[in-house]
Amino acid sequence: MLRKNVLKRDFVDDKTKQTKNDFVDVLQNSPEESDGDSSDEELVEENFSSDESELEFESDDDGNYVRKEVIADENETSDVEASEKSDDIEDYSDDDLSDSDKIINKPDSTEIEYISERNDEYNNSDTSDEEDIRNTLGNIPMHWYDEYKHIGYDWNAKQIQKPVKGDQIDDFLRKIEDPNFWRTVKDPQTGQEVVLTEDDIGLIRRINSGRVPDSQFNEYQPWVDWFTSEVEKMPITNVPDHKRSFLPSVSEKKKIGKMVHALKMGWMKSMDDIKKDKLLKRGPKFYMLWETDTSREDMRRIHDPVSAPKRDLPGHAESYNPPAEYLFDDKEMKEWNKMSDEPHKRKLHFLPQKHKSLREVPAYSRYLRERFLRCLDLYLCPRAKRMKLNIDAEYLIPKLPSPKDLQPFPTLESLVYHGHTDLVRSISIEPKGEYIVSGSDDKTVKIWEVATARCIRTIETEDVVRCVAWCPNPKLSIIAIASGQRLLLVNPKVGDKFLTKKTDDLLSESPKSDQLETDRIKTAVQWETAEKHEQIKGVRVVIKHFKVIRQVTWHGRGDYFATVMPEGANRSALIHQLSKRRSQIPFSKSKGLVQYVLFHPIKPCLFVATQHNIRIYDLVKQELIKKLITNSKWISGMAIHPKGDNLLVSTYDKKMLWFDLDLSTKPYQTMRLHKSAVRSVAYHLRYPLFASASDDSSVIVSHGMVYNDLLQNPLIVPLKKLETHEQREEFGVLDVVWHPMQPWIFSSGADSTIRLYT
Amino acid sequence: MEVDNNDIQIQVHFKSKQELYAVPDIPYSISANVTTTDLNTLVNTLLQHSNDEHVTADFDFLVIDECLRTTLNEHLREKAISFEEVINIEYVERFPPPEPQDCLLHDDWVSAVETRGNWILTGCYDTTVNIWTTHGTHILTIPGHTMPVKAVSWVSLDEQKGTFVTCSQDQTAMIWQWNIETNSVECISVCKGHERGIDAIDVSPIGQRFATGSWDTMLKVWSTDFSDVEASTEVKRSKKDHGATKTPKMTLQGHRESISAVQWMDNDTILTSSWDHTIKVWDLHLEGIKTEISGNKSFFDVSYSPLNNLIIAASADKNLKIYDPRLKGGNVIRNTYLGHTKWIQTVTWSTEEEFLFVSGSYDNQVKLWDHRSPKAPLYDLIGHGDKVLDIDWSNPKYIVSGGCDNSVRVFKSKKIGKEAEQN
Repeated sequence: MLRKNVLKRDFVDDKTKQTKNDFVDVLQNSPEESDGDSSDEELVEENFSSDESELEFESDDDGNYVRKEVIADENETSDVEASEKSDDIEDYSDDDLSDSDKIINKPDSTEIEYISERNDEYNNSDTSDEEDIRNTLGNIPMHWYDEYKHIGYDWNAKQIQKPVKGDQIDDFLRKIEDPNFWRTVKDPQTGQEVVLTEDDIGLIRRINSGRVPDSQFNEYQPWVDWFTSEVEKMPITNVPDHKRSFLPSVSEKKKIGKMVHALKMGWMKSMDDIKKDKLLKRGPKFYMLWETDTSREDMRRIHDPVSAPKRDLPGHAESYNPPAEYLFDDKEMKEWNKMSDEPHKRKLHFLPQKHKSLREVPAYSRYLRERFLRCLDLYLCPRAKRMKLNIDAEYLIPKLPSPKDLQPFPTLESLVYHGHTDLVRSISIEPKGEYIVSGSDDKTVKIWEVATARCIRTIETEDVVRCVAWCPNPKLSIIAIASGQRLLLVNPKVGDKFLTKKTDDLLSESPKSDQLETDRIKTAVQWETAEKHEQIKGVRVVIKHFKVIRQVTWHGRGDYFATVMPEGANRSALIHQLSKRRSQIPFSKSKGLVQYVLFHPIKPCLFVATQHNIRIYDLVKQELIKKLITNSKWISGMAIHPKGDNLLVSTYDKKMLWFDLDLSTKPYQTMRLHKSAVRSVAYHLRYPLFASASDDSSVIVSHGMVYNDLLQNPLIVPLKKLETHEQREEFGVLDVVWHPMQPWIFSSGADSTIRLYT
Repeated sequence: MEVDNNDIQIQVHFKSKQELYAVPDIPYSISANVTTTDLNTLVNTLLQHSNDEHVTADFDFLVIDECLRTTLNEHLREKAISFEEVINIEYVERFPPPEPQDCLLHDDWVSAVETRGNWILTGCYDTTVNIWTTHGTHILTIPGHTMPVKAVSWVSLDEQKGTFVTCSQDQTAMIWQWNIETNSVECISVCKGHERGIDAIDVSPIGQRFATGSWDTMLKVWSTDFSDVEASTEVKRSKKDHGATKTPKMTLQGHRESISAVQWMDNDTILTSSWDHTIKVWDLHLEGIKTEISGNKSFFDVSYSPLNNLIIAASADKNLKIYDPRLKGGNVIRNTYLGHTKWIQTVTWSTEEEFLFVSGSYDNQVKLWDHRSPKAPLYDLIGHGDKVLDIDWSNPKYIVSGGCDNSVRVFKSKKIGKEAEQN
């Protein structure tokens, strides 16, 4: 207290020095005042009465306060103080200090006014009890007055009217016009608007930033070391130790004597002895064998007992006098002895023995052991029944219809088409299904009659035939043959003579193209009419490519066809138009080694398979529609379902992938039916069948039903494995083709045969 | 059980429809595990007892309308007949095994054969038609077609001349007239109208019309009548080597795929089989389908016998099936004959024996069947070295078959000869 007062005095001194920022002191002092037990009400009253001479009053008040404290310290009576106060207002004003204040402060009139106004509201003190002095409502939630025009009552019991509230436009205008708008707040008690002073804002800022609110407060005051931390070298007193400190205590000696006596007599035990005793008492340690040993377990034994295993009823062999046939003969004895190593495998656990009478039966030699085993059984018997979940492995397999219900499908080899001398890489069937064409590594193309396996015509070419494709348009009779770098368009001259002639007429005249072809195309492809010696063989048009052609495929209408040259880099896929004898290179950039291309059966789309992925392009809009992710290392072939929504992909890594194009870009189903690389896949045009050919020299026929209902996923059931082709140097079956009408499948293999399965 | 079976005695009645071989109508008790050979000796001894002049004959035994092929007890067990009953066994003289008589070598596959009288007409893949005698003498080679000949059929034959039609993959059928004495042949008319190869041909019983079935799924009926055409086309013939062009009298549409066989059931009814899994009976008055039989495989050949009114069909499997066209719906399979190991390409009824038919298959075999014995054929006629493409038994004396081994095999069926001798 003393120190505080001292501080105050300092402030007062300061005030005398500081002339301008007097009100700051006021602010700063006010908390100090609240600490003291001053009679504030009186002060309030005084304030109310004296509106003009505020400053003086205040400064006086301070002075008064300080003085009062001092007086309190001097143990003066409060009565005196009160009298002094009430009487000596003038006296105070006469006081030197107050005078000086008054004089100094007066010139700064604006400041003073400001403060006076403020003081009017808050009356110089902000203790929580008296925040609003004018309003007599007390500490109640102010929203109770929300609906009224007034906001409380003043000391004269008059309603305090709410200030007129402007609308939002006024607010906004004020916001623009009034530079102090940002520091104007509304007093909830009075409804008045209050402009915060710089110091108020400073105060708020300090509180917000977590600093001491008092700007004058020095956090780093010099440290006053009340109690020294230094250790003195010399003792402060020089009194010698007391005698007790070095003489043993007599009472303790007596106590110890008693304990020693007790130990000797055995009434008391040492810690070691106690430990030993404890160990002795405890005995061997046992562990709980079962999970629980509780009352619940006991109840379980009653409600759900584990029945003891039943023993077989004693038979004749166990009799003391068994019939002769139960006694062991030599053979049985031998068997008995043979199993001495594993006695539990014996049929009987004893030797039947014959005794003349019951009296002669000896004591049972294994009695003890048997009892022991019985005890072991009980001891090791499980206490709870373990519920085993019996799930049939078959139950988990999805129900697939049996192949019998999915007939017809090919089951047997019916015909073998002999004639080629090297592996037959590719086969293709006439749209009507009467003839089939095959291309082989022996550089020939053969046309066969399906029904009799008769080779009708052999066309010799100059290079290995990698692909043959019969034009799917039934009104044209053309076969496209990929022989080395040349693509031959051949008129097979089978079937309808009229069509054959018409096709010949069509192919004989080359339409004059008015369009100039770019160099890029010119260097890749040249269309030529066949030479004389080839004309005789049936070759009508030759399209020379710049690289080896691996595959050729027709569009469904038979006017366009596409060729694939895997080595052709960015010109590896070409689209040719027969009627205009024109070629196009649809892709400017190569996105990988193109392996296979396919036309969509209905839409103008092209499927392009590179080694890893399949891209679907819209040929009209010339853009990429979709990219299918196969997750396989090397795609070997593709087949599209005749409805166009499902794609089957074969890969060299033994997989077959079924893509549902509406579903996602990932395979709907991956089939690993083959043991070796899958070479070719094919859909049947009419029946819900598809087949795959593999290097393991098998053809697998599967049922692949595609439903019209979009919600129902395709049903895939492997049906039959046809293995009649012979393996030749890692190669098995190279191509499969379905008959267009019948559920028959043709396969061509490395054993230079074509086989028909029906 | 087997031990028991050996002891079983069965009461049997022997019956025969042939007066010649009648035995006394007394029940006999015989062991259950007898085979046909045992029964044969038994019946023969019985016959010898009653008739000293009896010459030993081979018999087949019919138990419950089916030939006995295994032991009697097995047969009965299969038919689920009690051993207690008295069993009627009918015995018929066994059809003697046909003997291979001749092998007619061609230059290429023989796809069609037909006999009439002593002449065998063959169609060949080298586009020629050949005429042979039944004794194996080659008479004539007729070039004319431009593509393999697929079917041939006789129209008429007398002492001086014969008429026949041939059809080929070159989409034409040709009517030929063969003068036997001068051994010259001329094409009377060329039948054009089919849009694809013609696979099947048959001439009506009277011989005025013939029907062709083709890969263009059409059945066309043509007239064999050429006398009226002859005069008017005299000029044309001089121009062309071939005869006058003919157009079809009737075109019947209904099959969805190629027609594989055509046969006249009577003068106004045609039987066809097709790859579209159906057999159809066409009525020419109505110009439409009378009956339709649908199977579940493609049909390769079909044959109708007026003797028993049954249809036998060969389809794209190893079985032969018998249908009854008189039944409504017609899809009832009366019997299935198992024995071939590959596709059966051709089948034909005997013209004289009610129960017999022959079939030729891609397993290089010709089999002779009794339709009461579905389990096993009567005889296997071995000889062909490759697929059998066509078979003919229109002359009851000879079973003739042509195949991919470039040969026509002629088998002589003996029984007829014997009966003829007896008569």
